[in-house]
This record gives sequence, structure tokens and C-alpha cells, in this order.
Amino acid sequence: MWREPVTIALAALRSHKLRSFLTLFGIIISVFTLIGVMSIIEGLNAYIAEKVANFGTNVFYVTRYPIITNAKDWLEAQRRNPKMTVEDMEYLQERMTLAEYVGAQDWREKDVRAGKESIDDVGIRGTTPTMVHISTEKVAAGRYIAESDYERRAMVAFVGTEVTERLFPTVDPLGKTIYIDGLPFEIVGVAERVGSVLGQTQDNFVFIPLTTLNKIWGEGPAFDTGPWIGIKCSSPDVMAQAMDEARTLMRARRRQKYDDKDAFGLIASESLTNLWDQIFGGIAAVAVGVVSVFLVVGGIVIMNIMLASVTERTREIGIRKSLGARRRDILLQFLVEASVLSTVGGLVGVLAALGATALVVATTPVPMRTPLGAVILSLAVSTAVGLFFGIYPAQKAARLDPVIALRAE
Amino acid sequence: MALLIKTENLWKTYDMGEAVAVQALRGVNLEIPRNEYAAIMGPSGSGKSTLMNLIGCLDTPTDGRYWLNEQLVSEMDDDQLAFIRNKEIGFVFQTFNLLPRATALHNVELPLIYNGTPAAERRERAAEALAAVDMADRVNHRPNELSGGERQRVAIARALVNRPSLLLADEPTGNLDSQTSAEIMNFLERLHNQGNTILLVTHEHDIAAHAHRIIKIRDGQIESDERTR
Repeated sequence: MWREPVTIALAALRSHKLRSFLTLFGIIISVFTLIGVMSIIEGLNAYIAEKVANFGTNVFYVTRYPIITNAKDWLEAQRRNPKMTVEDMEYLQERMTLAEYVGAQDWREKDVRAGKESIDDVGIRGTTPTMVHISTEKVAAGRYIAESDYERRAMVAFVGTEVTERLFPTVDPLGKTIYIDGLPFEIVGVAERVGSVLGQTQDNFVFIPLTTLNKIWGEGPAFDTGPWIGIKCSSPDVMAQAMDEARTLMRARRRQKYDDKDAFGLIASESLTNLWDQIFGGIAAVAVGVVSVFLVVGGIVIMNIMLASVTERTREIGIRKSLGARRRDILLQFLVEASVLSTVGGLVGVLAALGATALVVATTPVPMRTPLGAVILSLAVSTAVGLFFGIYPAQKAARLDPVIALRAE
Repeated sequence: MALLIKTENLWKTYDMGEAVAVQALRGVNLEIPRNEYAAIMGPSGSGKSTLMNLIGCLDTPTDGRYWLNEQLVSEMDDDQLAFIRNKEIGFVFQTFNLLPRATALHNVELPLIYNGTPAAERRERAAEALAAVDMADRVNHRPNELSGGERQRVAIARALVNRPSLLLADEPTGNLDSQTSAEIMNFLERLHNQGNTILLVTHEHDIAAHAHRIIKIRDGQIESDERTR
């Protein structure tokens, strides 16, 4: 009962390859787009969780601003939230009980030079010694910024591999001098390679003591965020409690009333991935809309080809009815045929998308990862489209009068 | 003897729109017992095709009643008629009406597919039916690989595979040369001798002459009904 219509549909596909391709083009494109978009989102999600929004395990930051996605909140926060300071960090460091390490970091962009080589706009990060436990950069050679460096406001630097490779391509950079904004710093340590995010290197940095940064360049303009305060907890179980503790302490320090909004931000890896999820949710919604339009067009083309098939095979339908096929037998035959057609279109789309994904991953830095769910969803949707748009032609076939159908040429 | 076919005052009116109605059948009363070999004759437009469609359960009468094998089929709905066609009637058509893309075996299997016979039994019975019409060596040929006579033999095998109570042959030799026609008529004779009831619809006298009873239709009514053997 099932095998026959499936065989007929597949045979028809084989015997009219170009026509089948054109018929199924809408479905193929829909599935291709659907899987493509889902693969990009999935790939970027994983990528962001791993590389962009990865603050390290059990780490969160106290910052001037929370994650803000609209202009009104932004203006309010600018008025309400004071710039963060090193004193805020010290305040938390003294009072927090659930924090294993508390540190702070602040940024500037400066040119870095050594000999005749120079690099423009390197990220200069002023950091506390404790940040070695909090942020994700690891020591590959030499040492991190030490407590004594911090206290003495020493002119020392811990540098990323991009800096060492460009300024000291042939010699050991440890102990060498680099000039940041024209001021000499001694390299005391080199970081492990971080890699790149979307083709942008993440190793183009120089860390110096936060005290040194503030001494040389000041605390920056009033609209600046000030340092980010990093806090690492001993285990993931106390993360939520520790964030509550930090919030309570900061509110007390800011003398906030019970129903005031926080005059600072608390950011964990999760808050960043949530932000990405929001953005991707928007992209996905648009993609779903576009794909739906494609699917409807694809479905209508299938309906059209099935109507043509019913007309072409009127006599066959008459013969089958004369031999005892009931309405539902004919209905089923054409429904199965339509859904086999569209499922084959879905399969072609899936294969094309998998091929394209593999190609993109192999040749570009764009991260793509095809979720199995996307494949299952697309196949299910394409079958459903065939079933839905097959209903009308199949009913038309099933309702044919056997006498008239047998008379057809 | 039990009647296989009994019609009572069958009318068939085709509404052609604009208040024009064509009365294709005007009160046909017909009785055909089991194991009869009868021919229905008549010129085109006489109503013989309409009568054949009614007897074959492809269509329902406008008025009157029709019993096939003691079942009142004139009152049945589409799906019940499909069931009766499958169980009681074997059709042999002038144009063979085989599915062009299917093999001889698959064509013969079709009636068994629609009554839900399991696949293995289906193939076995279809192969037997083809062997009975001397087509055992052609089971995997498609219709376009067969001669006209061979196609009609496949069609006969298909008509008989479900052991129907009535074999309805509509101009079975209309598309065949005279030698092949004779061959097919011999087959029908043999089937009749094996106990099958055959109703032959034709406008050719020498074909109708094979039957044992000739029913002539004119203007939607039975003109004459005589036993020839």
C-alpha cells in the first residue's frame, strides 16, 4: 500500500531530473536557508560561549553599567551610575566573604614600539596581580604582574604573543624594553596564545600594573566606565550567593534605597550569552519568516505539479478505481507521492547545506555548526509541506468519477 | 438457477444542463443467471455503454434497482461500489487499460493490493493468474514490451485474479487483428467452460456470435433477447 506510491514518486523524480529539480527548488532553498542560518547561529553561540563571553569559571564582574539594550535605560544609567574606582575594588576585597579573588582591570589604547618596529592602538590593560586567577590569559613564559609591581607602580609589562611576534620576531622578548606611548616598559612575562575570534587576533595586548596605568594616563574622562572589578568564587554553587553579596555591598556603598535600581552592573558569562541569544533570536525570527515564504512558494509549486500529474494520470486513476481502489486509496497514493517529492527536496537541501557548511568552515573563520535538530526539523517541515499542498490535488484525484476517468486519453 | 444479475426498471438520465436531459437508459429489466455467456449488442448511442457501466458498478442508476450476486448495489455509496468492483467484477477493456509503467505482474497484482492481500500471497496468485493465460514467461515485461494479444491476456489475468463472479468484457477484441481476436475469444470460451459468467459488450456480430445469448439494445431499451445456443 505504501511502497507503490513511494516507488512511483521516486521513479518520476528519476525520469525527469531537471523538472524535479525545478519543482523542488523552493523546498531545497528553504531547507538550505533554514539549516544555514541555524548552523551559523549554533556555531556563533558555541563560539561566543567559548571565546567571547568566557570570563573564566566562577567569575563575574562588577562594572559601571549592566548590559543595556535600549537608549532610555542607557541615559538613566549614565546619570545614576558613578564611574567605578580602584577604591570600589578595595571595598569589595575587604568585605566579601564568598570571593576567592577580587581584582580590577582598566583599558587604554596606545601605540607600542620597540626599535624600529611599532604597533598602533594596542590594548593596554592595567591590572591587579590577582587578575591572574580571574581573567583567562595564562602565563607562558616569565611571570604575571606581581604584587610588588602593583605597589611600586613598576614599568613592567606582560604581553600577548601578537606583540612579541611582531616586535621581537627572532629574539627572546623577556627582559626587553618596549615603549608604550613613548615610555619604556620591561617585558616580564609572555601570555599563552589565545587565538582569534572571527578572524580578529586576541593576542594583541600588553598588561601593566593598574596603578602604573592610572599614574601615567590618569583615571580617564568622566564618561569612561572606570575599571571592571573581577570576582572569582571558589565553586559554581556559590556564584549566585556571591553575586548577591556583591550587589548588597555595592548598594550599601552607593547608599541606595530599597527600591532604587542598582547603580552599577553585575555581568557574568551568562549575561553575555543571554544578550547574544536575544540578538540571534531576532536573526532566527527573520530567517524563519523568509523560510516560511520560500516554503509556501515551494509548496505551491508542488501543488501545481501534483495537479498536472493528476490530470496526466486521470486514466490511471480510472483504471485503479475500476479495480477496486477506494477514494482513500487514491487520496493516500497522491499524498504519499507529494510528500515523497517534498521530502526528497528536503534531503537535497540538507545535503547542500551540510556541504556548504563544511566548505565555509574549511575556508573561512566563520564558525558554523549544524545542529541535528535543524536537520530533523527541516525534513519534518518539508514532508509536512508536501502533505499539506498535496491535499487538494489528492482530493481532486480521489473524487474523480471512474466512468469519466476511464474515458480520458 | 440463482441469478447473478437482476435489474428492475433501470433508468439513467444525464443532465446536460440548460434543462436538456439525455435518457440513456429507459427502463431496462435484465436477468442473467450464473455461468451465462451473454453478449450485449447495440449501435453507438444505444445505451449499451451506460448499461455496461451500471452493471460494472462504475456508475449508479437514476432510477430502478440492480442486484449483483444478491446484493442491492443500486443503493450503494462510492466506497461500497469500489469494494463490489474489487470482489465481484473482472473488467476486460477494449484498450486493455494496463498501467504503462508497471510490469505485467504488478498490473495483475493491483486488485489484490486494493483488497489488502499480503504481498507474498499477492505475487503468488498474480503469477498463477498469468500462467493460466500462458503468460508465465512474460511476468516482468511492461505493456509496451508486449503485443496487443499479450496485453489483453494480461488484462484477462488481472480480471480473474480475484476470482470475480462476473467477467465484464467491453469490446475486448476492438483493438486486435482477427487472428489475435480469435485467440482471445477462445480464451473467453475456455473461461466460460470453467464456470465463469461472462458478459460481452460488442457491436460486432461475429464476436457476439461466440456468446450463448444475445441481448440487443436500442434507444435505451432492450430490443431483443435471444438464446443462440
